[in-house]
Amino acid sequence: MSAATDMERTQRQATSVGAGALLGLCLAAACAAPFVLNGYGLYVLTLTGVFALVALGLNLLTGYAGQISLCHAAFFGVGAYATAILTQSAGVPYLLSLLVAALFTACVGAVVAVPAMRLKSLYLAIATLGFGVVLQKIIFEWRGLTNGGGGLALSPPVIAGYELRAMGLYYLTLAVVTLGIWGAWNVSRGRTGRALLIIKESEIAAGALGIPAARYKVIAFAISAFYAAVAGGLFAYLVRYIHPENFSVGLSIAFLSMVVIGGLGTIGGSIVGAAFYVIVPELLRGIKDAPGLVFGLLLVVVMVLMPQGLWGLVRRLGRRS
Amino acid sequence: MARLSIEEVSVDFGGIHALRDVTFELESGSIVGLIGPNGAGKSTLLNCVSGITRPSRGRVRLDEKVLSELPPASVAGCGIGRVFQHPELVADLSVQENLLIACHRSLGYGLVSELLKLPNMWKAERDAARRVEEVLGRLGLSDSAELTIRNLPYGHRKLVDLGRALLMDIRFLLLDEPIAGLNDAEVAKLRDLLLRLREELGLGILVVEHNMPFVSRLCDRLVVLDLGRLIANGAPADVLSAPKVMASYLGEDA
Repeated sequence: MSAATDMERTQRQATSVGAGALLGLCLAAACAAPFVLNGYGLYVLTLTGVFALVALGLNLLTGYAGQISLCHAAFFGVGAYATAILTQSAGVPYLLSLLVAALFTACVGAVVAVPAMRLKSLYLAIATLGFGVVLQKIIFEWRGLTNGGGGLALSPPVIAGYELRAMGLYYLTLAVVTLGIWGAWNVSRGRTGRALLIIKESEIAAGALGIPAARYKVIAFAISAFYAAVAGGLFAYLVRYIHPENFSVGLSIAFLSMVVIGGLGTIGGSIVGAAFYVIVPELLRGIKDAPGLVFGLLLVVVMVLMPQGLWGLVRRLGRRS
Repeated sequence: MARLSIEEVSVDFGGIHALRDVTFELESGSIVGLIGPNGAGKSTLLNCVSGITRPSRGRVRLDEKVLSELPPASVAGCGIGRVFQHPELVADLSVQENLLIACHRSLGYGLVSELLKLPNMWKAERDAARRVEEVLGRLGLSDSAELTIRNLPYGHRKLVDLGRALLMDIRFLLLDEPIAGLNDAEVAKLRDLLLRLREELGLGILVVEHNMPFVSRLCDRLVVLDLGRLIANGAPADVLSAPKVMASYLGEDA
């Protein structure tokens, strides 16, 4: 028994040292990337960061708490519009807009969580799908605020007199993603993360341990919506033109796919999943006429061969070496 | 000295009377066995006490506090621990981490402290880790602290589940078939452990179990349910020799 324990301990220590080294290496590469990439490459990498942020939040909700959401594109959209409107129309400083919009969207997320207290699995998925459609419709119809189908064109945000162009926005996104990873890491390993894990396992067991499942589902939805909204606020200024169609159910499904492909219930999986989803189709562009087909097949292959996602593979390789 | 009172509790599921006017009491420091044939309503009664099932009539009280109006998490917060027949643990987490889940209420720090890793979080987590260590010692699982549940034998998993209840500062413990799936050595160890818990912590224990030798050696008192009704309540030897009880176990014709 104690030999097995020692082995597990050594393995865990090796894994965490490996993860730390990997994180440092990725961060260094990410800092250096703008000096190597062209404008388009930088755009793709920023978009990866933006989606990774959504995936981090969604993974807390789906991977940890076991709640499926098909309305994250709507949270992403509410965050994008709220940030844009606050910054552009109300003249609120960009960073403050990001925060206020995210807090607002977290409240929207908490409201969406109300049916989640009663619903499970597929039923919850369909209910959140409905919420997503409603939120998107509200953005479309509230023309006075959102300019409806006309969309919103945005000029680059200014932080402390410095106009945030592609490079600036990239570094801001990198900083926010780093913070997001740190926050998600802390939450997933603390009191809340443990509560979410036992709720996924069994709500009855959670109750017997004094953990109110309903409250924690609301918290998980709110945190998750917060992440999606910050990402939306960054996305709005990355593309500088937002339209209700950007935030359709298709995008929600894409977010869910990122989390599953990357690895449910893992922080690294959120990042790897987002990177896979954004970067692989870009790499496949060279294949004439067939990038969608190849990407679709790749998704199938990943899911069949790696049920624990790409991060599960990274972990296995890490353990073997 | 605390008292857990089940007062004229009835539970109807549609047209089925799962429990009918069941009344008995459990004091701290006593071990009561809840027995009866399959479908007698034993698990329903445990569910009523732990807040999972709301009684159709009657109530459950802990001293003056009415528990049967509270949600399960609040009942647990009042000091009622529940150990399930099949331990519901997080398979990918270690024994230690699974036990930390049960420190949820006593940890007490908020989401902001957690997100930003503020000092009060560190302190609370250190205190919790110390209490987990104590409980691991009590269960004889100190060597397995860092094993993942996946790699833990079934008997030890049941102990971890019991350990979670112990981490919640409970006064009463509800056990649902604690020895199902355990070998003889594990059963003996569990009996000693439960007796020690009663001795050292003054716990009141309500145990549902089919194994008669086990319950009769462990319990001070037995409560017998049959078709939702309480048919006997007394010392094990008296209860097990009562004609009504023998009839309910062996069939009316016996």
